[in-house]
Amino acid sequence: MRRLTVLYDDRCALCVRCRDMLATSETFLPLELLPTSSNEARHRYGAVPWLGEELVVASDEGDIWVGPAAFLMCLWAMRETREWAYRLSTPALAPLAERVFAALSANRGRIAAFMQPRCEDESCDVHPAPIEHARRWTYR
Amino acid sequence: MNLEANSPYLVPVYAAYGVVAIGLTIWLARILFKNGAVFLQDVFKDQPQMAEAVNRLLVVGFYLFNLGYAALIMKARGATTSVEAVEVLAWKLGALLVSLGCMHFFNLYLFYRIRRRGQMAVLPPPVHPQMRLYPGPYVAHAAPEQAPANVYAAPAG
Repeated sequence: MRRLTVLYDDRCALCVRCRDMLATSETFLPLELLPTSSNEARHRYGAVPWLGEELVVASDEGDIWVGPAAFLMCLWAMRETREWAYRLSTPALAPLAERVFAALSANRGRIAAFMQPRCEDESCDVHPAPIEHARRWTYR
Repeated sequence: MNLEANSPYLVPVYAAYGVVAIGLTIWLARILFKNGAVFLQDVFKDQPQMAEAVNRLLVVGFYLFNLGYAALIMKARGATTSVEAVEVLAWKLGALLVSLGCMHFFNLYLFYRIRRRGQMAVLPPPVHPQMRLYPGPYVAHAAPEQAPANVYAAPAG
């Protein structure tokens, strides 16, 4: 793996802030930050069913991580947080990390509005369709 | 007041303390230097000069801290009898040894941290991907030994 592509939701202020953090921090491998609404993202990753609803991370080899796993991959990419990526994927902490990330992701519009109150009509709130499956990931 | 007359054992206590403190510090620093080099060579595999520089700097810090601390705690209030002199010496050496021990474990922790930082850069991702966009064998990392029991399934529709 030589490169990671992070597909973030550019409609939410929280995600854009996280993108800025990823863009400015030191990483182990080059990151490409693509907004999910862009034509390029749709063209290259249109086959990913979660595109636009969840955080998606793709490697240059075509591996796709979604949701909590994608969040861990972002942590894993940064120099400062790689250790935490492993810590948060241990059986003891993984369920908690997963729940926290799922809650953050589902309420990202509201959190963004709280951070930057300019969405009073909740127009920038995102309501992802519920995903009917277990959110378990597998551990190395 | 003539301090030397009041505590005739103080000078021998100081002398013994000084010899032991300096000797111990040198001995420990040499051990640290010799064994730390092994750790650091592992971390800075491609730049052995860097390993040596970091090792030297750590040892210099160790010398400065320990000799400085030993000098600071040297002053004793007095030792009028030989028994008291031994007690004063034992107390000072004990304090010095405990502080040296703390420094030593701190140094070991530093080595561990430095080594871990180096190892971090080559570790594989902590989670398996949920899907693969292009078909083909895994290239960068080995395929999982068994298929994940419960993977992220695509949403219906």
